[in-house]
Amino acid sequence: MERRKFLGLGAGILAATMIPAGLSAQNYRETKVDVWKVKNEKDKPGVDAAIKALFGTDKVEDGKVKLKAPDIAENGAVIPVTLKAEGASRLALFQDANPESLVAVFDVPKNGIPDYSLRIKLQKTGTVVAVAEIDGKLYKASKVVKVTIGGCGG
Amino acid sequence: MRIKAKEKDGITTAKVMAKHPMMSYAEAKKKGKEANFITYVIAKVGDEVVYEASTSQFLSKNPYLKFKFKGENKGKELVITWTDLSGKTKTDKKKIK
Repeated sequence: MERRKFLGLGAGILAATMIPAGLSAQNYRETKVDVWKVKNEKDKPGVDAAIKALFGTDKVEDGKVKLKAPDIAENGAVIPVTLKAEGASRLALFQDANPESLVAVFDVPKNGIPDYSLRIKLQKTGTVVAVAEIDGKLYKASKVVKVTIGGCGG
Repeated sequence: MRIKAKEKDGITTAKVMAKHPMMSYAEAKKKGKEANFITYVIAKVGDEVVYEASTSQFLSKNPYLKFKFKGENKGKELVITWTDLSGKTKTDKKKIK
């Protein structure tokens, strides 16, 4: 009886944490605290681990996402990046050059158009990875950005 | 915050520049200051959320964000709020042209 009660409670918590994205505003800083802490180790980038921590899977196909970033950034403190993925409900940006992997997560609202630009910092040359969730599947695009002056106090 | 928002053929393009040092942990350690950066940005037109971003220390200083959304929004107000690591929030609005 005790065990049954316990299991029931667990199912309830699970249901509560599985509220689908897009229905309401979500601050991933509060809902997915650990994903921001996934580190890029030397010889072991944290990008795949961060993707798994955020989306719950690391099954990612190439394609459907467009990632625009410069080939060479003279100033690593200001690197313009554009992510575009038609029909995406979620977009996320990662890299392997800074201490942690995750840069930003976007929940695309009902009338939002997943064509977002931002400016990021890279400590050194690295690979920038954009991931989009489209109809429950993950797609990615990557780009190497060569940094001549680092931008993260490094 | 500097906000520009313009609608054309049912698509609004918004460009936002927030004023914030975006001090990463590495930068803060070097300078002997506290790390602080914008962690969450939300944009609304009326009650409708039109843009949402959870952000990190790796956005550039005075972060620039550009985004698009659908709808007949000309003349309506775009309201943007950011929250930073210290818990401070700032809200600004701009009429969509």
